[in-house]
Amino acid sequence: MSESNNQNPQTILELTNVHTFYGKIEALKGISFSIQEGEIIALLGANGAGKSTSLKSIVGLTPPRNGRISFYGKDIRGMKPENLVEEGIIMVPEGRRIFPALTVMENLKMGAYQRNDKNGIEDDIEYIFTLFPILKSRHKQDGGTLSGGEQQMLAISRGLMGRPRLLLLDEPSLGLAPIIIRIIFDTIKKINIEQKTTILLVEQNANLALMVAHHAHIMTTGTIIHSGTAQEIMKDETVRKAYLG
Amino acid sequence: MSINHSKETHYPAKESFLSSFFRSLTEEIKAALVATLWFCFLTLPLVCFRINANTQKIDYLWERLPKVAIIAFVATLIWRFLRKRLSFSHVKDTLDEVSGPPPDEARGPGGSWVTYLMAAKHKKLYAILALAFLVTIPFWVSPYVVMILITALIYICLGLGLNIVVGVSGLLNLGYVAFYAIGAYTYALLNHSFGLSFWICLPLGALTATTLGLLLGLPILRLSGDYLAIVTLGFGEIIRLVLTNANFTNGPSGIGGIAPPGLFGINLNATVKPFLVNLHLMHKDMDLNKVLIFFIMLLMVILTIICVFRLENSRLGRAWLALREDEVACQAMGINRTKAKLTAFAIGSTWAGLAGVVFASQITFINPSNFTFMQSVMILSIVVLGGMGSIPGVIVGAIVLTLLPEYLRGFANYRMLLFGLLMVLMMVFRPGGLIQSTRQVYIHKPLENKEP
Repeated sequence: MSESNNQNPQTILELTNVHTFYGKIEALKGISFSIQEGEIIALLGANGAGKSTSLKSIVGLTPPRNGRISFYGKDIRGMKPENLVEEGIIMVPEGRRIFPALTVMENLKMGAYQRNDKNGIEDDIEYIFTLFPILKSRHKQDGGTLSGGEQQMLAISRGLMGRPRLLLLDEPSLGLAPIIIRIIFDTIKKINIEQKTTILLVEQNANLALMVAHHAHIMTTGTIIHSGTAQEIMKDETVRKAYLG
Repeated sequence: MSINHSKETHYPAKESFLSSFFRSLTEEIKAALVATLWFCFLTLPLVCFRINANTQKIDYLWERLPKVAIIAFVATLIWRFLRKRLSFSHVKDTLDEVSGPPPDEARGPGGSWVTYLMAAKHKKLYAILALAFLVTIPFWVSPYVVMILITALIYICLGLGLNIVVGVSGLLNLGYVAFYAIGAYTYALLNHSFGLSFWICLPLGALTATTLGLLLGLPILRLSGDYLAIVTLGFGEIIRLVLTNANFTNGPSGIGGIAPPGLFGINLNATVKPFLVNLHLMHKDMDLNKVLIFFIMLLMVILTIICVFRLENSRLGRAWLALREDEVACQAMGINRTKAKLTAFAIGSTWAGLAGVVFASQITFINPSNFTFMQSVMILSIVVLGGMGSIPGVIVGAIVLTLLPEYLRGFANYRMLLFGLLMVLMMVFRPGGLIQSTRQVYIHKPLENKEP
């Protein structure tokens, strides 16, 4: 599935030896990986492996202490989250975090906070309603009244409203019913194919993530211990047994 | 949609409401009597006992009791009637939703006159009528009433300003009065020392308040919740203490002889007033300068309402609401937290500054005791009582909290007690405020077109 994307690969994001600390605790012990344009990359691993921290380090919520993060060749380490959104790096945070008191429509508009192209925003809302028709029928409702799955759809949609060049998804399957998870992951794949959006996916549910991802990195305790294409990792019994369960 | 069809399905509701109310009339009266009894019992010490300062004894004023009882009884009945009507209309609304809303035409004179009168197409007309009424007020009331109304309008302005900070953005500011004081003192000092006019000082006062809001906001907006409240409380006190102790502000004795706003240099009281009084168009003791301030305040309140409404429904307003809810998500959306919060804080301060300038010109003499912590509490109460984030709520709150004390002068000693009681009752019965805030709903246009 990844053949068409890999014909002319351009590295868009590159992490080199990134270290991030929470106080004295070293959460990322020098991780390095890169993402090609149009790919879906999965970061897998158990709790506390540093997957979410990697995402937060990229978007500047937990600025790394050293190392280099470059986006389209530009050093972005230490940049503020709002400036990174401008660059086109958008994160869908863990646990959905939609705005419960704003309506679905307003939530979507918040996603387009930095955009000024009114028509483009309208078009994107239209596109999102084709991705998740349920949101269309709920567009007048307050975000807080949606179910967990709908909230996750809204969170992803809100991220898309910023027209990301790189979309970071933090645990999109968290706490959702299997059938909803399926819809969400189908849509993730669809977004990647239709919009050519590069996606970095953090997931605990490895099998699910490997089904949509092109490449995957497996993390334990702040380091990447194994990398490969999704098929390789799927086939590699030892890796699967040792780290993915 | 067929008009005839909806006529039959929607109107019986109204008939049955009235008849059901009257059917249960005896029950309603019983309930109202019980409420009256309780009310009389609870307010007995307030209403009937008074300490006579001359004789050092308690006067018993039993003749007041029946009056209170009748008022309480009627009020309870009206309250119950309205409550019932409200719950009834909810039921009706849900019915409407199920069977599709009736078209506007169907709600003609034959239909529910309330819904007819409330129809959106009349809103403009009502606004104009209300405005016309407000404009005529100074021509048939006493000077005292005009003074009270100016105060009420100033508090509406202050309430709406603080509403942006507290109600919409969720930044608890307990030192709001400091910016009010800064506005007032800006005008007083500039007028006193340099003879600058009201119209020059109005923007200057606003600018000073905004600048100070920005300067204060910059370091403290990384705090939130209780900590922010404490720091702003401290700021309010610092400003008051500076005003009390500094030389240039004339200390506790304050600044007097502040000029009222002029109108192209016309002496209104000498030229226009005799003319109006002769025509019996104005109270003979009316100060036309105050009338001018009334009109200035009226205009300012209208402009404030428009500004605040536009702000709340703008991208920035949504960002404020979103920041109140989830800061991390806001950052992920690319909102600059500091910038958004600072804007809210500074814009709120601007209105306090504007109101302060008008206040100084209204009472012509200001001293630091005009700007105590109690004032901040008062403005905050307006926002909370009226409904956080709700424009009509804040207006009603301001009117209630400024007019009630004036008309309850007889209860002056118990004012704070009543205040407290009112607040407690509010929190129990209407935790969202008198008029809860409702967000403007954005309707997805293409969807509407596709609906049959």
